[in-house]
Amino acid sequence: MKSLFKKAFAVVMAAAMLLSLTACGGDRDKSGNSGNDGYTADNTTFKIGMSGPLTGGAAVYGVAVKNAAQMAIDEINAAGGLNGVKFELLAYDDVHDATKVEANYAAMYEAGMQVSLGCVTSDPCLEFSAFSAEDNVFFLTPSASNDDVPAEDNAYQMCFADGNQGKVAADYVNGLGLDKIGIFYKSDDSYSKGIYDQFKDNIKGIETVEASFTESTSSDFTQQISKLKDCSFIFMPIYYGPASLFMIQAKDLVAANTTYYGCDGFDGIESAEGFDINSIPQTVSMLSHFNSKATEGKAAEFIQKYTEKFGKDTLNQFGASAYDCVYAIFNAIKAAIDAGEEIDVTISASDLCEILKEQFQGGFSYSGVTGTDITWDENGYVSKEAVRYDIKK
Amino acid sequence: MEQIITTLINGLSAGGTYAMIALGYTMVYGIAKMLNFAHGDVIMVGAYALFVMFTTTGNPLLGLVVAVVLCVIFGVTIERLAYRPLRGASPLAVLITAIGVSSLLQALAQMIFGAGEKKPVFYQFGNVTIFGISISLLTLITLIASAIIMVVLSLFVKYTRTGRAMIAVSEDRGAAELMGISVNKIIVITFAIGSALAAVAGFFMVWKAPNVTPILGAMPGIKAFAAAVIGGIGSLPGAMLGGILMGVVESFSSSNTYTAPYTDAIVFAVLILILLVRPSGLLGKKRREKV
Repeated sequence: MKSLFKKAFAVVMAAAMLLSLTACGGDRDKSGNSGNDGYTADNTTFKIGMSGPLTGGAAVYGVAVKNAAQMAIDEINAAGGLNGVKFELLAYDDVHDATKVEANYAAMYEAGMQVSLGCVTSDPCLEFSAFSAEDNVFFLTPSASNDDVPAEDNAYQMCFADGNQGKVAADYVNGLGLDKIGIFYKSDDSYSKGIYDQFKDNIKGIETVEASFTESTSSDFTQQISKLKDCSFIFMPIYYGPASLFMIQAKDLVAANTTYYGCDGFDGIESAEGFDINSIPQTVSMLSHFNSKATEGKAAEFIQKYTEKFGKDTLNQFGASAYDCVYAIFNAIKAAIDAGEEIDVTISASDLCEILKEQFQGGFSYSGVTGTDITWDENGYVSKEAVRYDIKK
Repeated sequence: MEQIITTLINGLSAGGTYAMIALGYTMVYGIAKMLNFAHGDVIMVGAYALFVMFTTTGNPLLGLVVAVVLCVIFGVTIERLAYRPLRGASPLAVLITAIGVSSLLQALAQMIFGAGEKKPVFYQFGNVTIFGISISLLTLITLIASAIIMVVLSLFVKYTRTGRAMIAVSEDRGAAELMGISVNKIIVITFAIGSALAAVAGFFMVWKAPNVTPILGAMPGIKAFAAAVIGGIGSLPGAMLGGILMGVVESFSSSNTYTAPYTDAIVFAVLILILLVRPSGLLGKKRREKV
């Protein structure tokens, strides 16, 4: 019964999608094939579009991106903009719902958007990616980490792609100078096994002690804990449910100075139901590109400026990344002008996209809050160093 | 070497828990000649009782007592309402009823407590070092407690009137009835003991892994059933041996990096191998069919 309903639902959804695709195809033809210069002709500012959850359950991410992007734009404008021309943010709410993206995209496109931050969350961003590829609109997303988001050549990520976390984590661990680490993963889960495989391929000269579990053996970790208990660093590419269970069982069995290091699956572990992270004596940390407790460098500067303006509630890696996205786009446009490109305030999104693509593929690098000497590979994936974010020390 | 001994002790400890559950299966099978597939879910009932008592009073031992009492009440009630009316019905009807009771208990737990995980975290012991080998104290406690329970149960069955009556019923129900033993009473006692053991096993499971869900008892139940079959269903020493064997095989399998992902497959492969060699289980009686 359930599956029948699911099937029917899928068919309806597919039909709706097909209809919507033809609908927007029709719309777009009106503005011609030469991009949206019809809409950007009257621009007096450079317009950056974004769509994210500004309300609803994921609002903390969208609001952080909007706040931080606006903060970066205000700073740029206060410093004179781009040769006197100011920037403007067009922010739309998608409530983390992919079906809202089409309308948002059309609205910002017709409002004269020239470059974009894409969407804040992955599923909506995949939609956004499809629309923007058709119109050749450049976007650099702060936080949509799905591997397929940068599939088209107009799309770039500031955050690490999900499928690169194993490599990025391995690079980080290689730099720690440890002789031996523990790995705890779930062998029948594609997320966990994928990161584990990539991690193993990329670590060099470090002895690993490995313990794994499966869906049916995911509650009693006695054996796994006795195997890992002598490791001072345990890499855990798993979701926070089993991770928190492991930590409760291991809290008095492994040394208190042990560090647990997870990937994005640890996101939200501190508010997991029934789990008091402060009862865990070990350090709980995760792979990230931003440490919201940083005390020095550009990250600390950002934290100070952001909390002064917006408070601590929405201070997170999403905002830090968005701040960097705006500056990276600004720097890339400036670099293009320095290289002799003519960029007018009325430039169409498509023309600007070609210029920015050339920059991002031509050795452009950026240093900011979430990394130094950040570059992008030919697939649009970011290349920078991971930092360890301590959720609980 | 240290790793091997630790793994062995972990395995014996996990095996002790399986054995306690397997005893419930095997006693009910031996005496009532039925497979009580709701047995695993009685563990879950006990675990929720434990969770509620622990979160309201903060005392896990009080929780254990309440869990044992509640599980006994559930076990006896299930027997009275679901199984006794079917005494004499086809074994298949009883089996289906048992599966139905299992689903009912799981659904009830989900209705009352929701599908989310509950995490009653009791005091967690650290490691103790014995002969230079450091081992989790909780693992040792589980091991010792299950050993004591098994010894007491064996003595009870061997030396008390009720225990001997249980053996009599399991050997020949008709003859036992003729000797003046109340078969219904003995079956009720069997269910009560089995359910109490399930509650104790659940207590140690939750203490080790504070993760109470409506399907908590399903997998341990199936594994303990397999353990009872390995040992020879109907045989008490068989259930203990089967449970311990299961725990040790599982522990060694998950200690090895290459076999760890296939732990369940290996455990059940052992079941198949043993049944190929000894179809009635390790300590099971061979039944001769007269033609």
